[in-house]
Amino acid sequence: MKSIKVMILILAGTLGVHTAFAQSRPPVSFQLNYSITQPFGSLSDYAEGTSFRGWNAGFQYSLNDRLSLGVKAGFADFYERVPRAVYPGKGEDISAVQTRTLQTIPILAAAQYNFAAPEARVIPYAGLGIGVASMSYEKYWGEFVEKRNKWAFQVSPELGVNVPFGKYSPVMFNANVQYNYAAYKFQEISNFNTLQANIGLKFHIQ
Amino acid sequence: MKRTGLLLSMIAVGALLISSCRKDPLNDMTAEESRIYVTNYDEQVDFSSYKTFSIVDSVAVISNRDATKELTQYDAKLLASIKANLTANGYAEVDRNADPDLAVNVSRINTTSTSIGYAPGYWSGWPGYWDPGYWGYPGWNYYFPPYYSVFQYNEKSVAIDMLDLKTAKDDNQLTAVWNAMLRGTGVWNSDNIDTMVKAVFDQSAYLKTSAN
Repeated sequence: MKSIKVMILILAGTLGVHTAFAQSRPPVSFQLNYSITQPFGSLSDYAEGTSFRGWNAGFQYSLNDRLSLGVKAGFADFYERVPRAVYPGKGEDISAVQTRTLQTIPILAAAQYNFAAPEARVIPYAGLGIGVASMSYEKYWGEFVEKRNKWAFQVSPELGVNVPFGKYSPVMFNANVQYNYAAYKFQEISNFNTLQANIGLKFHIQ
Repeated sequence: MKRTGLLLSMIAVGALLISSCRKDPLNDMTAEESRIYVTNYDEQVDFSSYKTFSIVDSVAVISNRDATKELTQYDAKLLASIKANLTANGYAEVDRNADPDLAVNVSRINTTSTSIGYAPGYWSGWPGYWDPGYWGYPGWNYYFPPYYSVFQYNEKSVAIDMLDLKTAKDDNQLTAVWNAMLRGTGVWNSDNIDTMVKAVFDQSAYLKTSAN
């Protein structure tokens, strides 16, 4: 733990951050966002619907005014119902209405760097999450399900803004755009690429 | 302490969000959408080389409780629908003693066990299925090629098995060359027979005899 802090300090130093430890808000914060996620590539071929059923939540600890570390988790649900069609296989044809779903629950370690001082009216930031995602694949052939749960490595860079409700307010409005890549391969899905928009609130609690 | 409480309540809220956010794939599904029609066929077989068929006179009702042959209104309609489609594709129906090229077995399957393992054509080994003796081959077995893939669930389904009698002269096996499975909600409802049987024949364009 201590060595991580030292590493972060060195990193902060090289980034030219010299306002260290002038904490203006409690260092521990909690964030909750509503998410809309758009799938791309083979994931979109599988289930092309935008996910409007999603959220994102996390805890962060501010090391200084610019840099914080934390964990976050989320959820998105991809869904598409394909009208009846015949799916040919080897010596086999299946006529079915397919309902294709994929639920993802990422659990990421996150780092965030603020581009503005804590007293700014708008605080833009960049973040990076690295971790794993639980991928729950369920493809219904009619009412019969073909399912598989897998874990995949995930990377999620993020750009966003925090807008405090008044100077030094511990509560901030948050909006961000996040790109997700997961090394996920199963059946017709050869990789997992999504672009996610999040809006929510961030509370500095302690 | 306060922080732990907050954390735990956040996890509880999170779990609730996960379970409630998902769109349920089944609750807006109609009976028609729930049904799947699976056909398996032998890719080596030239279906145009067969000219005649004979179909069983009743339907085998196979379950793990009892085994019977039945001829309800549903069964009669099902057999008639299969006959009509085969005839429309150029095959001539003949008596089972008149040396047909193809034998057609029809079964209604109602499995209530939870066994997961199965062999393709598993229903042919159940009591109630036609004995090969029905087709003039007493003591023989049925053979379902291993490429046949069948989803196994606890449900009501219908199996239509087409067996090759034309080349059934060597290894004491009646080989299945074509199989259709009707599965899902309402497959035992006679209103759905025509649509279902038409679907399995429509998706089997190769199942035609050559013009004589």
